[in-house]
Amino acid sequence: MKPIFKALSSLRLTVVLLSFSMVLIFFGTLAQVETGIWKTQKDYFESLLVVWSYPQVWAGYEKLYWLRIPMPGGYLIGGLLIINLSAAFLTRFKAKWSKLGIHAIHIGLITLILSELLTDILAVESKMAIDEQGRSNHSFSYLDNELSFIDRSHSDYDTVHSIPVELLKPGKTVSVPNSPLSIRTHSYYPNAQLIQGKGTVRSPASKGAGIKMNIQVIPQAMDYSENNVNAATAYVEVLGPDESLGVWLVSNLIDERFPPQMVTLEDQSWEIALRFKRYYHSFEIELIDFTHDRYPGTEIPFNFSSEVVVHPNDSGSKTKALIYMNHPLRYEGLTFYQASYSEDERTTILQVVRNPGWLLPYISVLLMGFGMCYQFALHFSTFLRKRTA
Amino acid sequence: MRIQLPAISLTGVYLALVFSACEKQEPISYRIPKEERTYSAPIAPAEEKESPNTAPQDAPTSGGMRILPGMQAAVNAAPDLTFSLPEGWQDLGASGMRKANLLIAEASGNIEVTALTFPGDVGGLTANINRWAGQVGLEAYTESEIAPLTAARTISKHKGRYVRLIGSEQTILAGILPFHGSTWFFKMKGPTEATLAQEENLSNFLDSIAIEDTHH
Repeated sequence: MKPIFKALSSLRLTVVLLSFSMVLIFFGTLAQVETGIWKTQKDYFESLLVVWSYPQVWAGYEKLYWLRIPMPGGYLIGGLLIINLSAAFLTRFKAKWSKLGIHAIHIGLITLILSELLTDILAVESKMAIDEQGRSNHSFSYLDNELSFIDRSHSDYDTVHSIPVELLKPGKTVSVPNSPLSIRTHSYYPNAQLIQGKGTVRSPASKGAGIKMNIQVIPQAMDYSENNVNAATAYVEVLGPDESLGVWLVSNLIDERFPPQMVTLEDQSWEIALRFKRYYHSFEIELIDFTHDRYPGTEIPFNFSSEVVVHPNDSGSKTKALIYMNHPLRYEGLTFYQASYSEDERTTILQVVRNPGWLLPYISVLLMGFGMCYQFALHFSTFLRKRTA
Repeated sequence: MRIQLPAISLTGVYLALVFSACEKQEPISYRIPKEERTYSAPIAPAEEKESPNTAPQDAPTSGGMRILPGMQAAVNAAPDLTFSLPEGWQDLGASGMRKANLLIAEASGNIEVTALTFPGDVGGLTANINRWAGQVGLEAYTESEIAPLTAARTISKHKGRYVRLIGSEQTILAGILPFHGSTWFFKMKGPTEATLAQEENLSNFLDSIAIEDTHH
């Protein structure tokens, strides 16, 4: 055990791991050009192993297409770094005041790596779009989709039944919670193009927009580039307690611009839709004003900001805030950043982040800063003492 | 040995976190405050024909459009357009997503001329041309094949592209104009022979277009 432990705690391992992280960041940055930030993050930093391949868009691809470089992924490097740091910390631990700074730096670094992992696992990101003078009580994911059934029959509230698209597997039946319905997936496409067919399109759909608009579905490869949206699309059969109610074509492209698609069972009805996953909040945000300043004479933005008021549902007190670059609004564990705006500059788009570990990096940096100052001051005072002696 | 325990348990915590990273996906149901429907038109009876203005044939589908609330508002708020009408063309007026809606009645079939605008680049030139190529029965083009189909074209004092997609039956001649962060599409589509015969009129029409420009 001893030699293994010694190897795990060695400074050489630290240097090797840090070099690997630099290599990983370098190749991750190259890959980001081709696959976009989201996929790169998954492939390079939230993985144990990754294989880099020569990009198609580079010169000489015809000759170098076979070139592949395997390297450890972020989780592997991070995990090993944690083991290495903790092992080093524990083997060399001495309860001495003179080592306090070193300990603080080690603990700070471990906290930093752990906080990164916590963020990967626990953070949820979504977007909220609010029109000027309008309000919104929900944000939506821009990657995850859900199949939703909305019952609007009650006069005081609406009921949403949501099924994550991950459960839409062809042939599989899923029951819709708290309702007499269940669904059987006919087919599911993570990305597709919908076009209006010529003549009669052969389609599994028997109800709704798919039939009415004669829509043809052309499956597409997932597109991870920054400004593209994957059009998740499915043919879903809705089953009542006794019989099938029909097959609907649902897609996040068939959104609020179109009339809702309805599923009816006796005197009950639901709106069926495949949409970006929604997160409802216990408050509403009202956009008072959105302002956008450009450098004079150019189209280059230098500042955009949203003046908002938060209205809690439970008659609590209102909160006013101005959200702009580097000045997010923090409310009920959520952070609202100014992310984007609509073309007419009347709708603001806020990025909504729930990250329970958001304080950890600050603590870590404070610890490391303290450790470095302490250690420096210690050495400096010894040095001064020697000089005066 | 005293030292190893914490290190091992810390590793354990790390690995447990890594493996629990896969979120559990389950159907749920919950109540939300009454929502206002954003789409206010009456629910169409099952047999009703879909109105052409809401049909997605011209609205780019996948490949570029950001489906965000406020987009319809962006279309509504887009600057106004003026143009002069060539002889024999009818103006059916702006409607829905269309900023202009023109018709040329020909013996071989109607030719439609439309003006549309969307925020962003709507997926880029290749994606847009390939969407149209599909509409006139042509195979999709690769990026390098696109260049010979297009030519530079100034519309409303801004640099755009002119595109010719000639199919065996249907043809699309169109101007694409990036305009202060949006893209305008001026598209003429109809039977090949009749559409090509209208090319000069289309050119005059494109020359006459003036988009309200508040950016200069």
